[in-house]
Amino acid sequence: MRMVFVTPKVPLQASPDLLQQAIEAELRRIGEPLRWAVTGVDESANTAQVEAVVMIETT
Amino acid sequence: MKPHTKLHTTVLIIPTGIGAAIGGYAGDALPVARAIATVTDRLITHPNVLNGAQLYWPLPNAYYVEGYGLDQFAAGQWQLKPVHQNRIGLLLDAAIEDDLRWRHLQAADAARATLGLDLTDYVVTDAPLGVTLKQAASGATWGTIENPDSLLRGAERLIKEGGAGAIAVIARFPDDEDSVVLTNYRQGQGVDPLAGAEAVISHLVVRTFQIPCAHAPALMPLPLDPSISPRSAAEEIGYTFLPCVLAGLSRAPQFAMQGVSASEMITADQVDTVILPATAFGGSASMSFGQTQATIIAVADNQTKMEVSANALGIEAVQVRSYLEAIGVIAAQRAGVHYGALGSRIERLSGL
Repeated sequence: MRMVFVTPKVPLQASPDLLQQAIEAELRRIGEPLRWAVTGVDESANTAQVEAVVMIETT
Repeated sequence: MKPHTKLHTTVLIIPTGIGAAIGGYAGDALPVARAIATVTDRLITHPNVLNGAQLYWPLPNAYYVEGYGLDQFAAGQWQLKPVHQNRIGLLLDAAIEDDLRWRHLQAADAARATLGLDLTDYVVTDAPLGVTLKQAASGATWGTIENPDSLLRGAERLIKEGGAGAIAVIARFPDDEDSVVLTNYRQGQGVDPLAGAEAVISHLVVRTFQIPCAHAPALMPLPLDPSISPRSAAEEIGYTFLPCVLAGLSRAPQFAMQGVSASEMITADQVDTVILPATAFGGSASMSFGQTQATIIAVADNQTKMEVSANALGIEAVQVRSYLEAIGVIAAQRAGVHYGALGSRIERLSGL
């Protein structure tokens, strides 16, 4: 496996739990989330900037 | 007759690697933890708060919970099971030079003889872990390792062959004594350049094995600098950062899955207060706790490089200026007093 650092933007949601789910779903499109955080919020664009390390299986 | 009382439980979070003015350096939030521990029955916090390299302070009512474990606990997925003592397995990066490895083994032996800690025989990873460091656009520090499989193989040996119930990882970190980032850090400014990589190392072990884990970086000693900030000074006084990690892991609670029933388990729904820096609400644990009945306290004084407020994420929080005020809010809550009653102005009730 390998560790990869990623920085997706995720649309803000109506509640913290929906935002958590949206972040984890976005990260799971890339790999298995290991550590993530919202590091900025753009209210005009209605997005959360996420920084994360995900695990990707290597063949 | 013994009064019916509920244990008051506080979670103190100061994320690592975000340049927190208090807690972003060498265990400099430990005084905050010590003070909070006197006004709450149980203080749950994480290694970044309690680790001061050679320095630490045993708090009988503090629970040393690694960040990934804290995220799972906050989400209600894991419970915390207090212990008397964990058997700690020492996992050393193959990239550590002989002399530096001996310094760490001596620190571990000192913890056994002088503190009475229980350690297994150690394991050296079967390949260099290959730590790389990164600073993101936000200013937060992150990092990765090139050989995560080697880390996990070593941890598995400690658990299966050594009988370890907790893992202390020592990874060789890059020496860069002339870097601006390190110079700033030693002056008590800027962001800890190692923090992000340290976090992912312990996260991976905890996620894979569901046991306590913490990390101490292996670095060559730095030249004497008389201008070191007091906040960073704890990392200047020895050859290793290991003693605090061993002290913390020795009594770190074990993890149990949701649904396992036992009277001593601590669950997220028992948490009364959660304290965070006011600009650092973007982590998984803060979002999870923001959905519970816990009183969330945002501390303005503890400035960070982040700009994620509770309000921006729809989390209701009590805004305080300092940890001194946060301690007051906790003490009042534990006494059954609404903190608003301690102010000079109390508004009349109005109808819903």
